[in-house]
Amino acid sequence: MSKTLKHDLIYHLILFILVVMTLYPLFLMFFTSFKNNEQFMQNFWSPTLPAHPTNYIDAWNAVSPYVFNTVLVAVISVGFGLLFASLSAYAFARLNFRFKNFLFIALLALLMIPGLLTLIPQFVEIKAMGLFDTYSAMVLPYISGMQAFAIYVIRSFFESQPKELFEAARIDGATEIRAYGSVAIPLAMPILGTLAIMNLLNVWNDYLWPMISVSSPARWTISVGLLNFKGQYSTQMFYGPLFAGYVLASLPLIILFIFCMNYFIEGMTSGAIKM
Amino acid sequence: MVSTKSINSFRREDKTLKSKGEKSQPIAYLLLLPTFLFLIVFSYTPAVQAILYSFTDWDGFNAPSFIGFDNFIEVFQDPVMLQSFENLLIWTGITLVIGLIVPFIGAELIFHLKSKGSQYWYRVLFVIPMVIPGMVTLLIWGFIYEPNIGLLNNFLRVIGLGHMTNDWLSNPGTALFSLAFIGFPWISGLNFLIYYAGLQNISESILESAMLDGCKTLTRVFRIDIPLLRGQFKLLLILGLIGGLQNVTTPLVLTNGGPGYDTYVPGLYMYVSAFQQSRFGYAMAISIILFLITILLTVINLKFVKTDTDGM
Repeated sequence: MSKTLKHDLIYHLILFILVVMTLYPLFLMFFTSFKNNEQFMQNFWSPTLPAHPTNYIDAWNAVSPYVFNTVLVAVISVGFGLLFASLSAYAFARLNFRFKNFLFIALLALLMIPGLLTLIPQFVEIKAMGLFDTYSAMVLPYISGMQAFAIYVIRSFFESQPKELFEAARIDGATEIRAYGSVAIPLAMPILGTLAIMNLLNVWNDYLWPMISVSSPARWTISVGLLNFKGQYSTQMFYGPLFAGYVLASLPLIILFIFCMNYFIEGMTSGAIKM
Repeated sequence: MVSTKSINSFRREDKTLKSKGEKSQPIAYLLLLPTFLFLIVFSYTPAVQAILYSFTDWDGFNAPSFIGFDNFIEVFQDPVMLQSFENLLIWTGITLVIGLIVPFIGAELIFHLKSKGSQYWYRVLFVIPMVIPGMVTLLIWGFIYEPNIGLLNNFLRVIGLGHMTNDWLSNPGTALFSLAFIGFPWISGLNFLIYYAGLQNISESILESAMLDGCKTLTRVFRIDIPLLRGQFKLLLILGLIGGLQNVTTPLVLTNGGPGYDTYVPGLYMYVSAFQQSRFGYAMAISIILFLITILLTVINLKFVKTDTDGM
């Protein structure tokens, strides 16, 4: 053990400094969220007592609607998005039909299209459909946007499974829908979890589309709402509540991260490979 | 990333199915229906519209009028656009150098730890910032660069370098660089995770035999790790280039392209053209050009990756 430590000591030293530099701003955000302005001005660098948890009441009143909106939009988008994607992936992986190649290549072509290309025409379309400033304005394009990559990943997964698993279900008299629901989906849960986290993060972090497609503060998601909240509180110099708001906006993802760390790491890595 | 290889293997498989004489299963169309309904409305149509409208003069409300290639000609003569591309080049150049090297060093440092437990915990610690919502990260960086109460200026005053304090995001000399340096010390992030996963994939036996040969740590990094991670370097290079083209939110939130046009990038200019200047046709022409550059980069990438696997 001591030998290991001796070998690692220099690495530990460098890594420790890097970890401190990486995490200190987050730590500062956390302890500043409990300060009043006097404490913030006089003791910038470290936590102070007494703590002022009332900052969180102000912040909660301002930020919580945005958190709820984001959860609502993210859960509905990811839920339906992955349901549709898995149905299509099942068809592409297990069924035989005309135009299969054509449809699949048409799907893959979408992976080449960057989000910026469709941003403005999508906005024009949403307005024309009368969906501007609704939850649907966010949910519907999100569902569409996650199809190509999710289908590609889930299809590869279904194809890697032994055919016999599905055959068995069919011989037992199950319809395709049953084979999908009771064989394919339970098997695919880990990959669906990874995709869910990946897309959840995308929705949670998106700023541009909600800012363009929604105008009422009542429907703002966290990115848009938080920027507005920052505008109000920083001009009034209320730093404690401001940072409390940042903490509240981060908390749901941190909690999720603690419970499914591996899905997170996988979701983020495979998200990178998507363009 | 999807390679042409997977499409080809898919095609082959489809033929074998047909030769077996399996019947078409029409229920497939039912399963595909929701996906393709969504895609037609929200993906294919907007993509086609982007192309069509890029040839028009359009304010987004009145009827668009066809003007041929005028928008595209203007893009290459517009001084703001040229400045945007220049900024993008500088910005992407800095982030690529940093993003390719620093996370690699971080991944190596952790990978070389003898204790597996420490490896795990350092990795978790470096992943934490990735879990923070993007907007919170941006606003924290806005606070770090803030001139009066910001973290960076405060730090400079503490260590006696008060004369170096600066209004980082408003000063023309520092704004673009300040944006490019966001993320310091740059370990945390996707690049780190991808490098680390790559290092984990190097087979134990190679590392062990290197160790038996008395291979020093640095020699090992240069002779074994870097050549074996060539694929990761290439992937991150291309992702960095493509990601740079897509970057709108950071300058929009932190500087709004200012001071002057010092932090304008093409994506931001596209956004401003459409939503602040009501020049939808022109904005779509910009988006088409960004799309073509992306395609070009992807094709180059596919070529590189292909030769890479062929060589192996």
